[in-house]
Amino acid sequence: MLVLGQLCVALSIAQPKFTISGYVKDSQSGETLIGANIYLENQPSTGTVTNTYGFYSLTLQEGSYRLVFSYLGYQSRLESVTLSQSTQVNVSLSSGLAMQEVVVTAKAEEEDDNVQSTSMGRVSLPVDQIKVLPALLGEVDVLKTIQLLPGVSSAGEGSAGFYVRGGGADQNLVLLDEAVVYNSGHFLGFFSVFNADAIKNTTLIKGGIPAVYGGRLSSVLDIQMKEGNNQQFQSEGGIGLISSRLTLEGPIVKDKSSFLISGRRTYGFDLAQPFINKTDFAGTNYFFYDVNAKVNYQFSQKDRVYLSGYFGRDVLNFEQRDRDFRFRLPYGNATATLRWNHLFNDKLFFNLSAIYNDYQFRAGFDQEEFKFSIYSGVRDFNMKLDFDYFPSNDHQIKTGIHGTHHKLTPNIISGSAGDVEFESTTTPKYANEFAVYIQDDWRISPRFRVNLGLRGTLFQQTGPYTSKHTGESFSGGEVVQTYSSLEPRLFMNTSLTEQSSIKAGVTATTQYLHLVSNSSSTLPADVWVPSTEVVKPQRGWQYAAGYFQNFRSNTYEASVEVYYKSLRDQIDYRESFVDNSVDQVEDEFVFGKGRAYGLELFVRKNKGALNGWLGYTLSRTERSFPDIENGRIYPATYDRTHDLSLVSNYNISPRITTGVVFIYATGRTYTSLERLYLIEGQLQTDYGPRNSQRLEPYHRMDVSVTLWPKKKEIRKFNSHWVFSLYNLYNRKNTFFLYTDYETDLTQGTASAKAYKVTIFPVLPSVTWNFKWR
Amino acid sequence: MKLNLLTLLPILLLLMLASCEQEYIPIKSGEGPKYVVEGYLEAGEAPFPTYVILTRTFDFFSEIGPDQFNSSFVRNAVVIVSDGEADVVLPEVCLSQLDPAIRKLVAAQFGLNSDTLSIDFCVYVDLLGLVQPEEGRTYTLRIEVDTDVITATTTIPPHVRIDSLRFLPPPGKPNDSLAQLKCFLADPPGVRNFYRYFGSTNGGPYEKSFSTVEEDLFFDGKSFDFQLFNPATTNGNADPDQFGLYFVGDTVTIKWCSIDEAHFDFWNTLEFSNANQGPFASYTRLQSNINGGLGIWGGYSISYYTRVVAY
Repeated sequence: MLVLGQLCVALSIAQPKFTISGYVKDSQSGETLIGANIYLENQPSTGTVTNTYGFYSLTLQEGSYRLVFSYLGYQSRLESVTLSQSTQVNVSLSSGLAMQEVVVTAKAEEEDDNVQSTSMGRVSLPVDQIKVLPALLGEVDVLKTIQLLPGVSSAGEGSAGFYVRGGGADQNLVLLDEAVVYNSGHFLGFFSVFNADAIKNTTLIKGGIPAVYGGRLSSVLDIQMKEGNNQQFQSEGGIGLISSRLTLEGPIVKDKSSFLISGRRTYGFDLAQPFINKTDFAGTNYFFYDVNAKVNYQFSQKDRVYLSGYFGRDVLNFEQRDRDFRFRLPYGNATATLRWNHLFNDKLFFNLSAIYNDYQFRAGFDQEEFKFSIYSGVRDFNMKLDFDYFPSNDHQIKTGIHGTHHKLTPNIISGSAGDVEFESTTTPKYANEFAVYIQDDWRISPRFRVNLGLRGTLFQQTGPYTSKHTGESFSGGEVVQTYSSLEPRLFMNTSLTEQSSIKAGVTATTQYLHLVSNSSSTLPADVWVPSTEVVKPQRGWQYAAGYFQNFRSNTYEASVEVYYKSLRDQIDYRESFVDNSVDQVEDEFVFGKGRAYGLELFVRKNKGALNGWLGYTLSRTERSFPDIENGRIYPATYDRTHDLSLVSNYNISPRITTGVVFIYATGRTYTSLERLYLIEGQLQTDYGPRNSQRLEPYHRMDVSVTLWPKKKEIRKFNSHWVFSLYNLYNRKNTFFLYTDYETDLTQGTASAKAYKVTIFPVLPSVTWNFKWR
Repeated sequence: MKLNLLTLLPILLLLMLASCEQEYIPIKSGEGPKYVVEGYLEAGEAPFPTYVILTRTFDFFSEIGPDQFNSSFVRNAVVIVSDGEADVVLPEVCLSQLDPAIRKLVAAQFGLNSDTLSIDFCVYVDLLGLVQPEEGRTYTLRIEVDTDVITATTTIPPHVRIDSLRFLPPPGKPNDSLAQLKCFLADPPGVRNFYRYFGSTNGGPYEKSFSTVEEDLFFDGKSFDFQLFNPATTNGNADPDQFGLYFVGDTVTIKWCSIDEAHFDFWNTLEFSNANQGPFASYTRLQSNINGGLGIWGGYSISYYTRVVAY
């Protein structure tokens, strides 16, 4: 019997294995689907998911299989495959009709990736889900939607800026088609630079950051642009209160190549120009715009090339002719990404990316013979070589090497008074950043998986540079300072049942570029600085654990996660910092440490006429700096004890969808106003301990109604209306506090009053969107 | 160079249009009062006697009336100024102790009118001129109040004069009743210089604009023309069309001062703190050179320029 048993095992081992691989796409547009599930119908734990490019690879023993292809919001598809050799199976999935109940054809275990995978603190938001939620002034915004997730808090009223699990605003890696976006806000951060019409998918990773990503401590926000419909030409757009949008996309060569170009621009001030031009302020205008463009070409089943880019600007022109005064403020991002996907074989996927990004901020004014301008920015050249290797169903290995050359321009000021010219002594700083990583998503047993990763990084500040401290000069390319780091990443998943699991993980991260803001939010003029002889890299460790459970055929997914984060070499400005734009900002920095810990609850309903989620976070975020109050531990500006978000969509009928968002958060911290004193006869404030007080809690409800066209008619031209009410019950949330002083020494009286300012009352908006194909 | 404020101003104005405000009563941590020192030494032209005003802070939301003012002055302190060689104890003088004629003169020196003044203003002042401040020297201040000791140090830097002043027509739309003041300064190269100015119109008290200090980081060693705002037309009540401008026919005196770095840092943080209010702003703690209290112990080297506004 023993011999027979061994023979069976040997035969089993000897049985040949073959690989099924291919791409999963949207049937109508040909867009690849990221994160689609592929698994055996009768053995759901054997399966895989598509990568960023929609590619999958599954290795099975010879035989006949029924494979399920599924993707949230799409009709799942069953494919029968007889495997006697490695084969390529490209599958197109049909989306459920717009906002209709998803037709469920597969069995219950579909879409339980959140339970089965090793990933933690990771949420993907398809852009269609974002588009039906109420939005401030009707401007759909992916960054504001991710703020509704547990562990993510808003930088302020109406702000697109966000903080993740107690990390600073600069600790989020924001990627658009792999290009780093250094400033993701328009109009002082009230709107994000991401035009929802050009976006395919948004993924936020706030916990277990895989080794493929690095360079920031807190989170990764990975945004992919659409590729463009490779089946038929289509256009879509909309007219809103803030901006209007137009997107054109279509095949260049059907099934092989497509393009997309998408633009958005504001026009409020343009409409006011006839009135402004009759005043002394003629020529004054403000607008912002974005352009997204992408083309791709499939040379063969093995080779695809993508070229994508983004260009956006905010432009403020202020003219006051009666004072001969002009002010110009343009700023914005430009990115370009060239990618080549190559399949060496059905188990080895390769991608080469060449990425360029450039953030520029300029401001200048002139009056008569006096001129003044200021410039800052970041420019990167980046090369990435990434491999996805699928050696067996138990391993999915990713490895790669990344290299970036940074040029970081601090505030460089120039000016002139007649013939005399001035220039600040600050100069750009240069740096090279390299990373090599390997990670393996390893299924040790059907119930136990680990994701092991290691990322090694090397950062070099390079010349030209002259040290203020040692006086030493470095020529171009010469290494000034080197830092390196080994960042282990380990995530584990133990399945308790097919519908529940426990996960735990540890993430080490290092950040070499820093943006420190003296404001309660980040502003376009804030400057990114590299690690130098003065500024050390920020380092962080995050420990997280969670329980994940799906209910009722994955209609509901729920999770409880806890985290603890320890942060070293954190940076802030000293308390007496004056932003005069002339000094090197590094000279004004103080360094300290931080910690954050919390508990997050998340319940999401994915299917049915009513869907949405409820997120709640209980957390604490603290900082301590030896140079601020002798190291007293204080709550960070973005510490929120309680943070609750309720997001829901309800399809009342095929023609009407409603959306409701409710937010409640503990009030923001502020530094107490303690005492008053007179200097030169004017009252001054003496502040108490930093962030020792809090504003009242923030809460708000927004609602929207979307009116869809009649279902029966499949027309070339369709349009729908979105009506939104922001801040439904007119909650007067504090935007900021200011103080007002009055002194009359003669009468011997003085008073100081604080005022809270609210900016967004109940705000209605209407947006008309169309699609033509 | 308050650039952030300037760049944001038009957008903020827009936001303000949509905003509403109401009074807010913040919570305080409830710690006790602190000492406040405001003391100056002047070297150069027509120096004012060295003096120190010593008070205690008010609670942020206290109703401040004459009684609170009167009781805020710290009386019977020992105030000692030293130039490293000799110590001078400054006597305490309260206006109520003075003969009415002298009281009027002393009050006027502090910009006050003793006839209508409701508070008893007290100051520790070197009426006898025992302290003779000189450029290039360092002066320490030591104050003893019961068992508390407050100390500070300041240096009076060598004075850098304005080379020339002239009035020109205002920028932009012609207006022959207004003028802008252009000054020509030759900043000494290789040393850090810090400047402060005040302005007086037709013999009135010296006033200050919202921005009175500047350092030469941006213009070290340069000789150049710059516009000096009229403090009288930069305050909140002034007509925006006259902002920073002078009125033709007035007699204007500019008090031009060189100060040391710590003295500059105090005014620079004070003016930034006052200007940096509003959305996105965070607090700025004033950088004081007083050990054991708040405020400033500042040395000035001074020159005066009196001109009739004409072009």
